[in-house]
Amino acid sequence: MATLPSTTWRTLTAGAGERELPKGLDAAWDAAAGRARRLTTRTSRFLRRAQKVLAWERHFANISDARLRDAAAELRDVFRRGRDTRADLERAFAVVREVAFRKIGERPFPVQVAGALALHARCVAEMATGEGKTLVATMPATVAGWRGRGCHVVTVNDYLAQRDAEWMAPVYRFCGLRVAHVDSEMEAPARRDAYAADITYLTNKEVTADFLRDRLALGRLRSLPQVLLERIDRGRASGADRLVQRGLEYAIVDEADSVLIDEAVTPLIISGQAPNPEQAKAFSEAAALAEQLEPRRDFRTNDRYREVELTPAGRRRLDALTDGRGGIWAGARRAEELVVQSLTAGVYYRRDKHYVVQDDKVVIVDEFTGRLMPDREWRDGLHQHVQAKEGLEVEPPKDTYARVSFQRFFRLYRHLAGMTGTAAEARREFWQIYHLPVVVIPTNRPCIRRVAPDRVFASAEAKWQSVVERISALHAEGRPVLIGTRSVGASEHLSELLTARELDHQVLNAVRHAEEAQIVASAGMRGRITVATNMAGRGTNIRLACGVEEIGGLVVIATERHEAGRIDRQLFGRCARQGQPGSVEAVVALDDELVRRHAPRLSGSLRTRYGGTDREVSSALTRRVFSVAQRRAERLALRQRKGVLRTDDWLDEYLGFAGREG
Amino acid sequence: MPVDRPTFSESWYRVGSLRPRLRAGVQVHRQHFRGRMWHVLADPASNDFLRMSEPAYGFVALLDGRRTVADAWQIAGDRLGDAAPTQGEAIQLLGQLYASNLLMAELPPDAEGLLKRYSKRRRREVQSYLTNLLFIRIPLIDPEHFLNRWVGVFGRIFSPVGLVVWLGVLLGGGYFVAGRLGELADRTEGLFSAANLPLLYVAMIITKICHEFGHAFAVKRFGRVTGTGGEVHVMGVMLLVFLPLPYVDASSAWAFRLKRHRIVVGTAGVMVELAIAAIAAIVWEHTGNSTLSAICYNVMFIASISTLLFNGNPLLRYDAYYVLSDLVEIPNLAPRSRQYLQYLVKRYVFGAQRSRNPAHTAGERIWFVFYGIASTLYRVVIFALILLFVTDRLPKQFAIIAVLFAAVAAFMWLCVPLGKFVRYLLTSGELDRTRGRAVAATAVFIVLVAVAIGAIPAPERVRVEGVVEPVELVEVYAPEDGFIDDLRDPCAPVHPASDVVVRLRNPKLEDVIQRLKANLAGLRRRRAIATAPETRDPGEVRVLDGHIAYTERQLERFRRRRASLAVAPPQAGLWLPAQAGGMIGRFFRRGEQIGRVAALKALHIRAVVDQADKRLIDEADERVEIRVSGRPDDHLDGRLLDVFPVGDRALPSAALGYAVGGPIATDPKDAEGTTAAAPVFQVRIRPLAARSGRPRLLPGQRVVVRFELPSKPLAVQWWGALRRLLQRRFRI
Repeated sequence: MATLPSTTWRTLTAGAGERELPKGLDAAWDAAAGRARRLTTRTSRFLRRAQKVLAWERHFANISDARLRDAAAELRDVFRRGRDTRADLERAFAVVREVAFRKIGERPFPVQVAGALALHARCVAEMATGEGKTLVATMPATVAGWRGRGCHVVTVNDYLAQRDAEWMAPVYRFCGLRVAHVDSEMEAPARRDAYAADITYLTNKEVTADFLRDRLALGRLRSLPQVLLERIDRGRASGADRLVQRGLEYAIVDEADSVLIDEAVTPLIISGQAPNPEQAKAFSEAAALAEQLEPRRDFRTNDRYREVELTPAGRRRLDALTDGRGGIWAGARRAEELVVQSLTAGVYYRRDKHYVVQDDKVVIVDEFTGRLMPDREWRDGLHQHVQAKEGLEVEPPKDTYARVSFQRFFRLYRHLAGMTGTAAEARREFWQIYHLPVVVIPTNRPCIRRVAPDRVFASAEAKWQSVVERISALHAEGRPVLIGTRSVGASEHLSELLTARELDHQVLNAVRHAEEAQIVASAGMRGRITVATNMAGRGTNIRLACGVEEIGGLVVIATERHEAGRIDRQLFGRCARQGQPGSVEAVVALDDELVRRHAPRLSGSLRTRYGGTDREVSSALTRRVFSVAQRRAERLALRQRKGVLRTDDWLDEYLGFAGREG
Repeated sequence: MPVDRPTFSESWYRVGSLRPRLRAGVQVHRQHFRGRMWHVLADPASNDFLRMSEPAYGFVALLDGRRTVADAWQIAGDRLGDAAPTQGEAIQLLGQLYASNLLMAELPPDAEGLLKRYSKRRRREVQSYLTNLLFIRIPLIDPEHFLNRWVGVFGRIFSPVGLVVWLGVLLGGGYFVAGRLGELADRTEGLFSAANLPLLYVAMIITKICHEFGHAFAVKRFGRVTGTGGEVHVMGVMLLVFLPLPYVDASSAWAFRLKRHRIVVGTAGVMVELAIAAIAAIVWEHTGNSTLSAICYNVMFIASISTLLFNGNPLLRYDAYYVLSDLVEIPNLAPRSRQYLQYLVKRYVFGAQRSRNPAHTAGERIWFVFYGIASTLYRVVIFALILLFVTDRLPKQFAIIAVLFAAVAAFMWLCVPLGKFVRYLLTSGELDRTRGRAVAATAVFIVLVAVAIGAIPAPERVRVEGVVEPVELVEVYAPEDGFIDDLRDPCAPVHPASDVVVRLRNPKLEDVIQRLKANLAGLRRRRAIATAPETRDPGEVRVLDGHIAYTERQLERFRRRRASLAVAPPQAGLWLPAQAGGMIGRFFRRGEQIGRVAALKALHIRAVVDQADKRLIDEADERVEIRVSGRPDDHLDGRLLDVFPVGDRALPSAALGYAVGGPIATDPKDAEGTTAAAPVFQVRIRPLAARSGRPRLLPGQRVVVRFELPSKPLAVQWWGALRRLLQRRFRI
């Protein structure tokens, strides 16, 4: 008799809950249903229910630890059997609330309980930063743990995973649950042990990578019957025993917008070396050929789409240049493809902006955070072209063994919930792709952030000039200022300007990676000027120093609008937290990349109209350009992400003979 | 990447290391289309087909179950250079092969995936039923076994000898029909009468079954001759506009290598039907007026005219279409011409550079443009006609069905494509870069159309049928009782001075005159005696003179009365007897009307309009054009005299009623056909003096009067026309 542990069974049947994206009228119906859900899944309902949880407070506050432990154990059995009712859930949350107070000294506020209820109802809870999302997650996580099928609490980095797991461990232990975390250094047995825990804190990268490794371990065995047959055939030594995960049941995703949307289509790839000297040589040759082509005459560039296209003249020239060469260069199409890629690498990928060269290797720089990404590579041979351009040794493209995008991976969970500071703008996407309604949970204390209207300038110089003026004025008042820039390059530019004005400031970027948390933490000190990219230091609290609150709190200046409105709001959310005062202003220019790419005609005509004026050109029209461009960019991004998912669906359907993927 | 066909694909790892091969039973046939070679992969067991280009097959043929996909791709790339499929294309190819069940991998098949694909296919079939309500196909039986048993006999038809026999039958039929063409044409009117419809349907079923077996046996025959498949596994019922008809799936003919064979299979149905028509003609010629003759007549009609109109029309997707697309060597002519037209719009109007051109050669392009436009127009017309026909034939209480039907049709053929187009416009990746231009172009087009039909006034006209009536009409009464002896021909021009319109005979009058004559003779005799000298009696003479004078006067009076029996017309004009025929010998009482004489000088036209049209005519111009039936190119001018404002159900002439082919629906209870079903309004029009060479109006003639309305935008006109149509149909 072949037997399998139930955990393996869960892994193998994962994906049963996955659905294809609806099409046509179905899609329209689905979108309409999502809109209807938005109207019915009201925040007020969760808040009302939270009051019911709070009503238990007096009861549990007066009982002893032992009695509380008994109550937890009793509830655990109820949930384990799956016989829970609504009242059980409220009681369970009340118990966790009390335990949290006794063990770590924090009792969740009503809004936090409402957030927890939203998570349990499989929603994305939008909760402002600083509202204690870590604590919110404990309530649904405990309930999920009690159910005994594992619960993944997904965060964005190892540090947070470990910190949260250790911080909340006493609560879970009290409730009779084992908590563990997974970090990138762990070996397989330790991982297996961590996944076997009731609640596992981990990062999106680790959980996805483990999933892929499990798939590789299973090899061709993708379905339960196949594994059972294999087990009968070969005895115990099948791939199913090397699995580390035990199925994708319940996940609570922190920073859901970042994981589920911004990084949604970034594929996680497990790959291996595939030496191919001939191909490596071709990249260098392509670089040499590309150098012989002249811009405009031989090729045209398209800044909006960051593309290069050969002109007919360029094609003829390339033909002449490759004439007589064999191998890869024999065919015109392949030759053009290689050269165009090489030109793209040359024109649009800049050293020290998009990548740096370290130890004779090309390392990608994340444009938005400034972080180095040593384990990332560009796709489609672009990485090799950049290597060839830099004259480095070209490493052949790696062979892909397994690949899945976060988008696809998280859709595999049977219960998915998320929390983040900014979700409302992406509610369409959350619904259409993950079927998660977004619930906006109010802050515990009313937010008194003042948001000034955008100030628009005709050119970048005028904008920077105004920014510097504004900083120095605020600095004179003594208010701390945080300036958000779009890219590392922009933050360095501003830094130079500030240095020229002899304004003392801190810059947060790739180079000062190590001091990041410290810099951000001290950004709330009186008269402090901090320059950071929008993405840097996310999730770190900026504490206001004494006296700062009286003079108006932290000022956040955005120097550009981001492609997604959410990310602007993340930056704005850095000030005026937890009822503190603070203000936000955005300074933008008509030649910012956002409007140049996504509203080229409109911004172009406005640029010509205002010519080279230095003064502010803010008006309803100029402000509107930015919101139009932002909306277009958001739509484009959503369409692209849905397109990726559709392609994957197509592949799954048509490549059934290759075994199921993800 | 701006590269058209990127060499590498991110999904390659999923297939690269597999060793799939074509399934064991798969047969490969080569075909040439417009100088390009194609390979048709066919699985005779499941009737699945896939056509692929030469380079694609070059890659697929390398998959032998030992090589990996990656190796095969590499080899294909080395051999074929630029033409070789890219990784993405190779994946697509493998996917298509797999979806067509032509591919086998070394993996055990993913049963769940198979089931999912199966149910998806089923769902798609059901969906296509629903979207194609007018042409539903229901597969019923597998005729393969039956065909195999009989192909030895019937298959021989498709041979040179068979062709000669076929021609002979056709000639024979033609010979017999040729002499009686007129009679044939006369009888077509009765073809669609209610009584004949069941017969017509029976004839249709018989011929269509033979038609389908024609295809099926042709496929079997050539399959047997060439040894390439030729399997026919599906036969069923097709609901053509809810009318059940047989059909057979002869798609395995696609695998025949010889074009000749494929074309014969395509035309086999029509050929069989023509032969049947010829045989029916011969039988019809030799049978009298019996049911058999009626059936034969119907069979002749169905098997010749309707077949040539539908099956022989390449604009509809029946036999001729497939033959045409094979003849011009453009497979999938219809969908590809639609795609090509769409491509032209995308490429040149929307500026979508990445749009894929479905045409391979210049010749194809011309065909695509021509066929795409012609077939689209034709389809629209046919659908409109079918809709009208269906709504026309439905009893009035089911009118709601017609409305539903029209609504469904409008949704399917208008809303769905429009919705798809809007979605394409807003979300298609193809338009990412030129969406602004595409939206603008569409908007401009919509605005232009809207302006054209919504703002630019266009002349509007209403046509109404009327009858010509004389203004002065003098009635001719019988002056005496009498039998008609002689009558002028109806409509003969008569003149009071020289003509007699009717001659009556009154025997009583004759009697009286004879008696009077005899009396008179007697009296005269007696007077002669009384004046004779020997019997002279002066008193008697005086008395007799008085008698004679009285009798003479009486005789004179009766003679005059007799003379009046030859009735002269009271005025010059046209003689219109009260009845068209059967007047001779009829007895007329004195004062009874025999007929009328219409003055030719003053004529007017009386027309009737229903409520819907009356509203239009109220605002029409006074000047109208009058056209005589049968001479549509000439017209007279006229002037609108008046419109009787009160609706009435009496028609001025039976000629205007439905019963004798007029435009106004008549009350079925009224046998004379002069009572309209709904109130109508009478309109009088005076023709203006005709110039020479123009048609002359005659009383009683039917004419068409065209009213000129104030110019209105087309949209307003159409809206009004639609409202009038509904008003008439549903009596709203």
